Amino acid sequence: MTIKTPIRPAAKTISGETEATSPILCFEQVSKWYGAVIGVNQVTLELRGGITGLVGANGAGKSTLLRLATGQLRPDIGQVRVRGVDAWDWTAKRWIGYSPDHDVFYEEMSGFQFVEAMARMFGYDRREARLRTEAVLERVGMAGRSDRRLRGYSKGMRQRIKLAQALLHDPELLILDEPLSGIDPVGRHELVEVFRGLAESGKCLLISSHELEELEKLTDHVAIMARGRIAAVGTVSQIRDLLEDQPIRVLVETPEPRAVGSLLLSWPEVVGLDFGRTSEGDEALLIRATNPRQFFRRFGRLTVEEGLEIQRLEALDDSTQAILSYLLGGPTPSAGITGRR
Amino acid sequence: MNAPSSPVILLGYRPWRGALRGPWYGMWAIARSSLFLLLRRKMFWALYGVSAMVFLLFFYGQYLHSWLQTQIPDEPIRLGSGMVGATVKPKELIDIFRKILHLDGSGYTFRNFIKFESQIVMIVLALAGAVLIGNDFRFGSLPFYLSKPLHRWHYLGGKFLAVGILINLMITLPAVLLFVEYGFIDSWDYYWDSIHLLVGIVIFGALITIVLGLLLLATATWLRRTMPIIMVWTTLFVFSGGLSDLLVISFRLDSRWRLIDIWNNLYLVGNWCLQMDPATIPTPFQPRYSEAAAVLVVVCLACFAYLNRRLQAVEVA
Repeated sequence: MTIKTPIRPAAKTISGETEATSPILCFEQVSKWYGAVIGVNQVTLELRGGITGLVGANGAGKSTLLRLATGQLRPDIGQVRVRGVDAWDWTAKRWIGYSPDHDVFYEEMSGFQFVEAMARMFGYDRREARLRTEAVLERVGMAGRSDRRLRGYSKGMRQRIKLAQALLHDPELLILDEPLSGIDPVGRHELVEVFRGLAESGKCLLISSHELEELEKLTDHVAIMARGRIAAVGTVSQIRDLLEDQPIRVLVETPEPRAVGSLLLSWPEVVGLDFGRTSEGDEALLIRATNPRQFFRRFGRLTVEEGLEIQRLEALDDSTQAILSYLLGGPTPSAGITGRR
Repeated sequence: MNAPSSPVILLGYRPWRGALRGPWYGMWAIARSSLFLLLRRKMFWALYGVSAMVFLLFFYGQYLHSWLQTQIPDEPIRLGSGMVGATVKPKELIDIFRKILHLDGSGYTFRNFIKFESQIVMIVLALAGAVLIGNDFRFGSLPFYLSKPLHRWHYLGGKFLAVGILINLMITLPAVLLFVEYGFIDSWDYYWDSIHLLVGIVIFGALITIVLGLLLLATATWLRRTMPIIMVWTTLFVFSGGLSDLLVISFRLDSRWRLIDIWNNLYLVGNWCLQMDPATIPTPFQPRYSEAAAVLVVVCLACFAYLNRRLQAVEVA
């Protein structure tokens, strides 16, 4: 499956060249095995900018995909390229900033020392390394707390340090593995703003997260992984459209649920009806319908023609979590009504 | 620690306009970080203290020996009294002193000094292997290195550089200082007449750096934890020596069986570098210098091949 993200203004590479044509990150028919187990299966993906969320259950292949993108793993089949350069090649990493999911640091170092040491590894001289360290620590909100030893840092502070070291060299492509994990709501909001700012400045961000709600706030462009494959890529609604055969659940609050239900029973799109009450005690009808576009068009017409009193109409399965559940076969989010069919 | 706010605000987040120094500079950064971690260990400083004591023993020993030679009278002197007393010639006493310790700026001096220091270095390296390299593999710090514009060889190169700095700070540099010191004590001619010793010291130090460095990288990337590394190093440098003694001296097998002892091979090639006569080597039944050198080359190639294989497969999973 190949879906291209919107093209943003071409970012400048470190060398100053403009490379508008080649995608920032490109997976071409990439497969990766761990012995007999397949980690990533024939993934084709192209990123040109903006924020892309990568979601999937544990073992879906998210981390493998990110490690392939950062050149830490070598694909068994296919190619991963960053700005046209093989990601396995060390020179490709000048375009990449990577924040791994685990936070194993040199605990004896202070946050500042760690980030500065990382800056020196990029090849910055002492002065520039120090300036950049100060700048990125400021940016991730660690400026006043970076002289403490890493050993004493909270999970959220460690996340910020990881992000800081990824930002050091102004990378075009930021690959962040669970960057919001362990960060308090205020800090999360701050980091989301940082991510948005980076995306607006032309950076390409690939963010893996289990925090689906946060990811949805951050971007509507998600790649869903399941069993090593990219199961879907696109906006949440685009993905939902791809799943026409998969019934969505629509909650209708109406004083006459049974009357509305009887009108819907003959429709081919409607595959199930549930009656009950919402948590507020209002009468409600839960409809399971395929082909959502067709369903909503007909339902709108019906409401006008029959003069139905509809107090609330909500598609429950438009969230990433719901789509993920469909794709991965997990539980769907609660409809929030009690009752029987 | 943090800079005043104004430069930070001015700096902001901007693309780099200067020239990066390249991955070789990154190697130096890796070496610095590694040494930083090691220098924070008290155990390291304790062992470094022992190493410094050995150096000071030789340093002042050379001076004392030289000073004594100028102070002794030609006449015999009587030591003790009555039944336990004896008349000795001071010059003979000094000769005995010289023969045991060889504090005379000769090849013996540097051979002994490097031998003593190497034993301490091997203990340091066995303990440092996990800190320097093993923990990166074991705890997963590698992504931080490998996500930088560095090749895997640069990473290992940085670690090797750290090991090399450590070894040379404890062996080669003090040995060169001893050489310089003896020139001051003796005469300026010493430097010219014994230049081969200086070259030998440098080559011997480089040899120890290469062999021990590669062995440490190989064992630490393989075993990762401190205890297994210590066990393997003990096997390589202690048990193999005892076994080779047993085979060659007790079982009277061919002297080439000594080639299983890597330290002995290093010692033999070191003697070669210092142009020492094989007959002066204290342990009997030794293989030829060239045979020991060949074994070391094979060991280095094996380590190199292993590391290359590891690096091709360094996949941070």
